[in-house]
Amino acid sequence: MIVSRWLTRPFKARMRGSAAWFEDRTGATELLHKGLYEAVPKKGGWAYALGSATLALILLQLFSGIFLLLDYVPSVTDAFTSLDYLRTSDGFGAWVRGLHLWGSYTLIFVIGLHMVRTFLSASYKRPRELNWVTGALLFFLVLGLAITGAMLPWDQAAYWTTVVVTNIPHYLPFIGDGIRTLWRGGEFVGPITLTRTFAIHIWVLPFLMFSLIGAHLYLLRRHGEFGAWVNYSTDPNEDEEKQIGERIRRAEPPYPTKRIARRYSAPRETVPFFPDQLIKDVVMSAVLIAVIFVMGLISGAPLDEPSNPATLSYVPTPEWFFLPLDQFLVVAPTNPLIAIGVFGVLGIGAALMIFLPFIDRSPERRPLRRPEVIIPALFMAFTVIVFAILGISRLYNL
Amino acid sequence: MNLRILLSSLQPVGGSVLTNGVVVAIVILLHIQIATYITGSSTLAIVSEAISMARKDERHGRLAYMMVKSQVQIFAFGSATAILFVLFLLTGLWAIFWTALQQITFWVMVFEAAFFLVEIVLLYSIYANWERLGNHRRARLGMMVLLNITLWWQMFLIDVVASFMLTPNAGDVSILNQILNPTALPLTIHRTIGNLAWAGAVIAVIGAFNYLRLTRHSRVPTPDAPAGLRPLRSIGAMAVGHLETEAKRAEILHWEWVAQWGVIWAVALSLLQPWVGYSYAKEIQLHAYGAWYTLMFGSLSNVFLIQIFLLGMIFILGSLFFWRRMVRSGAPGAGRQLALMVALILLTLLAIQPAWFAGSYADAVAAGGNHPWWQGGLLNPIGNFIPFKVAALIGMVIFGLWSVTSYATALSRGHIVPGGSSRGAQRTALILGVTVSLMMMVMGVLREHSRQPYTINGEITLHQQITNNAPSSSSVDQGQP
Repeated sequence: MIVSRWLTRPFKARMRGSAAWFEDRTGATELLHKGLYEAVPKKGGWAYALGSATLALILLQLFSGIFLLLDYVPSVTDAFTSLDYLRTSDGFGAWVRGLHLWGSYTLIFVIGLHMVRTFLSASYKRPRELNWVTGALLFFLVLGLAITGAMLPWDQAAYWTTVVVTNIPHYLPFIGDGIRTLWRGGEFVGPITLTRTFAIHIWVLPFLMFSLIGAHLYLLRRHGEFGAWVNYSTDPNEDEEKQIGERIRRAEPPYPTKRIARRYSAPRETVPFFPDQLIKDVVMSAVLIAVIFVMGLISGAPLDEPSNPATLSYVPTPEWFFLPLDQFLVVAPTNPLIAIGVFGVLGIGAALMIFLPFIDRSPERRPLRRPEVIIPALFMAFTVIVFAILGISRLYNL
Repeated sequence: MNLRILLSSLQPVGGSVLTNGVVVAIVILLHIQIATYITGSSTLAIVSEAISMARKDERHGRLAYMMVKSQVQIFAFGSATAILFVLFLLTGLWAIFWTALQQITFWVMVFEAAFFLVEIVLLYSIYANWERLGNHRRARLGMMVLLNITLWWQMFLIDVVASFMLTPNAGDVSILNQILNPTALPLTIHRTIGNLAWAGAVIAVIGAFNYLRLTRHSRVPTPDAPAGLRPLRSIGAMAVGHLETEAKRAEILHWEWVAQWGVIWAVALSLLQPWVGYSYAKEIQLHAYGAWYTLMFGSLSNVFLIQIFLLGMIFILGSLFFWRRMVRSGAPGAGRQLALMVALILLTLLAIQPAWFAGSYADAVAAGGNHPWWQGGLLNPIGNFIPFKVAALIGMVIFGLWSVTSYATALSRGHIVPGGSSRGAQRTALILGVTVSLMMMVMGVLREHSRQPYTINGEITLHQQITNNAPSSSSVDQGQP
């Protein structure tokens, strides 16, 4: 009866009725409206697009990963064969692997740029501390996904990467050996190591990642995009308090941001997220994805010889994004130094990075007014870059 | 005399390995100090000019011009020492070695020499047209960037030659292997940073010297002394009643600022040297073990301790300079700066501990003293590089970084009063400059002597004998403890 009555109505009325029914039950239009019609700072829109591009690349990794799962077999006997089949016998298999690999490279690069942008603009300061914490954790998760992904092909490179990486926890005092045994499923790398690494790569880390992405986006919407100091300047010829007061009065949601100095509670000029910011987000994401598609097609993803634990001549080389860490291990070759270097220096560095908003609590936003964080950060950045260069030189001279 | 008879009687120019080495060392150390200043100050001039343009800050513009002018003033002399070095000393005193090296690194040398021409054109054009280009500052900055790129490449190419002499990549003389020999990039990074630190130190010296010159005759009366007998302690005091002219005051303020600018660069860049140098030493250990052993355990190990001492002194003097400026300005955090200086002194004392109370490890073993000093031996385990010296170096970097950051923070918050410097602080800047200069000389001596008895490691000896006996890479052969 209901169906026949619905079918007898004019088409437009039918569509309108269906949309109203859907809206009543889900509130989708309202949600979409909330999502699209938020104010964002006018200046620096291309820089903010790095965040959206990061999300787009994560989704690309998700979808290309799902396609790879259709063929990949996580066992030491079949992992390499399944990927070799993709390379030689599947029409688009090699391309999809290439997409997944180049997508991960680009993702690491873009999320790094996004963090640098956020750091330089001091967007992590009150009340956006948790935005930064979730973002920093996401960065480490992306690195975790990259390294566990590199272990899965179970070719020579993957096998020896697994041997090196799963051995690192061993240098941790007291609990190191336990963690290594737990990950490896025994004293040595074997079938259980691969299945556990596979589970970490496709379930544990993505679960954590998408939970954090949800939190990150929620917090972004709650406090609004900070932008940078350039969005909060005032005319020196006019009364500053008056200008700020006026700005706050005519601020559009989500501004004025609460629990922040009045000066930084609302940008001087804003634009709606749709279409002004969204178009920039789409363009940047589309360009990056296009580059990834082309690189995936041209370069693909390498597949080494099948793994051979008995070989004595194979020298494992790290992925480019782990070159600095690898070089760090070269200059810290003995047990106490590895423990100090990896778990002391790097651990402290990672902790400082995650808890940065709780360390840098000054109200200053301009980089030159924040030497207490900019100088150590430059020092760290320089260290990472130089270790990467030295790593390249060392690999050449192996 | 018949030409044939003359030619047949040709012999290498006389002189011992020692005297020939000393002559080369004097000329090359002089050349290096000039060349590295030109390269480093070229980068700093760009930074200064860019800041001047961005902030419309005349001080930075004046400093950039001063650096360009100083480059012009010493460029010819620096080039002359290079020509003297190459044409007369190496060709005359070390003919076989130099001919072999020239042939091996021919194209590297050709490009290195060609860069001189580009530099001459760019540097003199920038200097001669400085005022004229004042209305086209972006173009001028672009030319300065080009000059800097050229200078950097020239340094890189000569580093290829220098590093190839230490790690000749198992005798493989292909261009790529020369360029990517194991110590080429580490040495280049080490020198790039060193150049900037040295340029900063020279600028600090120039600033401090001018400050001291301008405040030399200033006096302030005290109740118990005739007027004009006590040296003036600060510009702030001078402003009370003894300021000669406003122009002079502006000059003093400028040079005070220049000295501070230079000290910050010198100390901040030197902070990178411990681990960059460590990485460089690591490559030497992996690819020229004999040279590394000489540096760390052999005859040069005590000279290396002097190097670490000078490095520690740079941080200590920097901290002292910062502390004096902060105390004079009444800046918050001056007490912390003093504590940091004390920590740096203690860490330097830990880092310069010899690992043995003998000439070298071999001497300690030969004397039968290869057990700890408290057991009557000559070994001092507290001076072991790993982990004690490494921990001390890490500590020096952390506290040094804290010291610089602390001062920069006070500066950015406006807590450092312009004109509030004491003459003592400026003297500290002078000593800092001398320390950096000494450190560069010691580094040159260390690097060039570490590969002895070879000029090209494992290939040509100091007596210019060509050999195929590559030095042993086995740590067991070298008696590594």
